[in-house]
Formats: sequence, C-alpha cells, structure tokens
Amino acid sequence: MINILALETTGKYGSAAVIKEDGSVYCASSETEMNHLKDIITISDEAVKAAGISKKDLTHVAASAGPGSFTGIRIGVTTARTLGQMLGIPCIAVSSLEAMAQRVLSEAIAAGALYVVPVINARRHQTYAGAWQAVFTSDGEHQSIVSEMPEKQYMIEDLLAELTDRVMENGGRVFFTGDGIDAYGDIIEDAFDAKGIRGQLILADEGIRYQDAGSVAKIALAKAERGDTLTYDRLLPEYMRLSEAEQRLRDGTLSDKIKKAR
Amino acid sequence: MKNGRHLTLGIETSCDETAVSVVADGRDILSNVISTQISIHTQFGGVVPEIASRRHLENINGVIDKALSDADVCIGDIDLVGVTYGPGLVGALLIGVAAAKSIAYACDIPLVGVNHMHGHIAANYLEHHDLEPPFMSLVVSGGHTNIVNVPDYNKCEKIGGTRDDAAGEAFDKVARVIGLGYPGGPKVDKAAREGNREAIDFKRVWLEPGSYDFSFSGLKTQALNYLNSERQAGREINVNDVAASFQEAVVEVIAEKAVRAAAEYGQKRIVMAGGVASNTRLRELISEKAAAQGIDVLRPSPVLCTDNGAMIASAAYYAYKAGERSGYDLDAVPALEF
Repeated sequence: MINILALETTGKYGSAAVIKEDGSVYCASSETEMNHLKDIITISDEAVKAAGISKKDLTHVAASAGPGSFTGIRIGVTTARTLGQMLGIPCIAVSSLEAMAQRVLSEAIAAGALYVVPVINARRHQTYAGAWQAVFTSDGEHQSIVSEMPEKQYMIEDLLAELTDRVMENGGRVFFTGDGIDAYGDIIEDAFDAKGIRGQLILADEGIRYQDAGSVAKIALAKAERGDTLTYDRLLPEYMRLSEAEQRLRDGTLSDKIKKAR
Repeated sequence: MKNGRHLTLGIETSCDETAVSVVADGRDILSNVISTQISIHTQFGGVVPEIASRRHLENINGVIDKALSDADVCIGDIDLVGVTYGPGLVGALLIGVAAAKSIAYACDIPLVGVNHMHGHIAANYLEHHDLEPPFMSLVVSGGHTNIVNVPDYNKCEKIGGTRDDAAGEAFDKVARVIGLGYPGGPKVDKAAREGNREAIDFKRVWLEPGSYDFSFSGLKTQALNYLNSERQAGREINVNDVAASFQEAVVEVIAEKAVRAAAEYGQKRIVMAGGVASNTRLRELISEKAAAQGIDVLRPSPVLCTDNGAMIASAAYYAYKAGERSGYDLDAVPALEF
C-alpha cells in the first residue's frame, strides 16, 4: 500500500496533495498568497481527509525541495522532515522544476513541443530553470520527461541563447512555464523573434503555469515505486544558491568593518 | 505523561540557537539541548539571518531527538508542545513553528505558541522552584530592554522599554568598534573587569522624570565619537577603560530604573531575565540598589539566561493551564509585542 502526502510551498500559493497507489490524487490549496506557514498543516489535513484516509495511513511524505522562495522551501521541507520523523515514515525529495514540467506535460505534447522549460524568477534577470524533453510511446499513452538541460541558475539571456540555438539546430517547439514568464515574457518573445522562430515558442496558460502539489505527488509516486526515498534527516533544501554572506566570504568581499571585527 | 508528571516539549529558534527541552510540571528540566550557531556567525561579525535559517532547518530534528532521548522519554509521553512564535528573525522562527505544528498534528498533542520574552521571564520558574508571581521583571537581551510588571503567570505588563537601541545592541556595536568582536555583551563584560569605570564620562540618559523607558543610541554615538577623536589625536585607546565606562553608563540607568519601578509598584522582588542578565556589573549594581530598599533580586543561572527551550516549555505549561491553545494556523510573528 502507498499513500503519499506531497507538499509544495516553493511558489506563491502553497498546496498539499495525497496520491494513492492507483495514481488517484487529492489536492488542497492555500487561498492566500505567501501564507505557507499558516496554512501548511490545515491543507495537509484537508488532502488527507479528501483521500478518505487517516494521517496514520500515510506511507511517505514528499516535499518540493526547491528551487524557489527560500522561506517557502524551508516551510515545506521542515514540515515534511518533522512529519516523517514523528510518523516514522520515509521522505521523498522532488525538484520544484521537474514537478512544474510534469504539470504541463500533456499540454506541451498536445501543442507539439519538443522541450518543456520551467523558469522560476529569481530577480535581476536571474532564473532557476531546466529543460526536459517530452517523451511518449507510439500509442501516445505513456508520457514522461527526460532532462535535457541541467537544473541550475541561469541568467535569462543565457538560458534563451542556449535554447534558441538548439531550436535552430534541431527544430522542435519550446513550451515555457513558471513565473519566469510573468517576469521575463517580453525578453523570451524577443529572443525567439530575433532568430525568426517566434512560431516555435509556446507559453503556458496561467491556469497551469505555477507550482502545485499534485504534480509533486505524481513524481513522488514514481520515486516511491523505485525505492528512491530518504530518511527524514536526509531530506534537505535545494536552494541552488549560497546565502549572500557566504558568497561574499567565498569571494573575499565581506566588508572591511566585519573583517576587522573578526 | 510519565510517572504521573505532565511533560512539555519546548522549542526555541528565534535567533541563533536551535534549542529543544523537555520540562516536567512546568518546573523540572528533564533535558535542555542547545545547538548554538555562534561559531558560524562569528566569521560574519554578527548573526546572518539567511544562514541562521538554513542551519536551524538542518539542526532541528536532531535536536528534538536528542531532547527526547536525554529526558529518557518518547514522543508518546509528551502532553504539550510549546514553541516560540515571536519576536525574532522570521526565517528562524518559522523553522520552530513548522516543526512544532507538525509534531502536534502527527501525534495529536496540544500546541501553545509562546512569546519569547515571556519565556525569558519563565526561565526563573525553572531556577527558583518556589517563585510565584507577583514580581517586577527586568528583561534585558540582545534585542530588548524592558521593565515588566508580572502580577500573574500569564500577565506581563510592560511599563518601560527602549525607545531606540536595546542594551545588547549597544554592547555589540561598541564591542565591534573597539575590536572585541561578536558576541559583544560577554566580551565587554570581561574587558570591563580590567578597566576603570570612571575613566571616561559617558552620559547617563534618564529621559523625562518618572519615565521607565531607555535610550541608548545617544550613548552609542558618544562612544563612537570619543573613539574617533582619540584616534585622530593619536592617543592610544585603553579598551578596558572604554568597556568599563561605557558599560557603567548603560547598567547604572537600567539598575536604577528597575529598582525604582519595583518600589513604586510595591513589589518585593526583581526577577532578572535575558542574556544581559548575566552581565556581572549589572547584577552587582542592581543587587546593591535593591538591598537598600529591602527588595530581593533573583536571576536564572547563565545557561537559562541565553535562549533555550526549557523556558519556552515552562511558559507554555502555565499558559496551557490557564486554558490557552494555539491552532494549526499558528504563524511566526517577528515583531510580536510584549
């Protein structure tokens, strides 16, 4: 028996979902922006109840471990770790970007896209992003994604240069998703326009553009089935970025005042 | 419940200590685990909030485990979870709150959110087993300088506070510029023991007559100006004298006002709390002034003056006994008022 509670708090709206062994998903979402800490247990309990189970029936707890809002990541991961610890069940780490790609997969395939590219806005032209290829069997029934460009921090311009080069070389359409569209939509369109491939670009509708626990749950189920689980203390955030102070320490650019105090 | 005793798990993550404790009947410490991040933040000259939040997350579950095993209990024995929900660094607070809510939910245990400052006062219930309200409390820590009338376990009436910098902040700042480093409080205290309190005439800021409030920013500026002018004049600075004179100007005002407040409110005891309560000179001076008025001074041992989970457990226990409960919607409140 498998019953996984999946948490997604890396974006603007928090959500929780329970997925059962048969793949059925039960979701609950926060109705207020950035209300993750306040809502996390309440929406988790709603999802558990919607699935018609008790919290003691949970077999795994999964968290979207990032990238995304640092604060949001910590709320989801701390909750998942502690629930895992207290209920005595294993944890599962899911990439927020992979879950976002998973969420738009059928739309991307329907639109004939070769690449699915989730982009999270990290401000000042920075993004967290990755690219996956949509793969499906000839009968069109079994869909999955394989990583095509690594998940990391990209300057939006660098990401677009690499993607448009690939399209120029191999053809194929690109399906963008994530709040990176809200922040850099014009820059994305201009980059495709500039190479005369505007027709190859598709932007996800707002209804499916953002993080959601249902897709985290689907990836978590696949991971649980292949035994890709962690003890609670091994579930850790994937910030994809050092804190500013650590970066300065590494670069040797801490302010003189602080150096003196040391 | 174990051996007929009510057990509270107290969780504290408001600044740079990840701390969890098990307390029996609100008074007896069965375990008190404090994982400090001081050595990490020292290299940055002060607490870096983003780093504190990251370390809390990595530490919290191990600290919970250790608190339970040190107390020789299991989570099923715990009757109540208490957690600091403010004031403090928001990213740090939320780790404790998220963990506490998850425990309460997973194990069906009641939850009480605790004001960190009330926790500091409650530290005294752990140290002095027969102490009961009413009393006057002086809460002095890195971020706070308050005089608080405590008529009852669950009532804290703030009658005076700082209008600008907290005493601890002023200590940190001056410690930094005279090269003593972080954390400033203990380092100034130590240096001051070797210095002359009357070497430099730093001003005492009393504010308007009858006020129990404090202001330390002017004093801080005076100290910085003094250091600049001495350096410009090419005179060597005696760090110990600066520390002793500066500290005297801070603690004389605090001690005087705390004793005056106790006398005016007819309280026979002053209960000290918070990190700065372990400052040697403050303790000495307040004891002298209080004794002259027939007022007793109590304080917790140094380990209970710093941030810890036991004080949160004790405060949660008394709130719980008075019927207080927090829901699963408990949120972190970084600027929580006294």
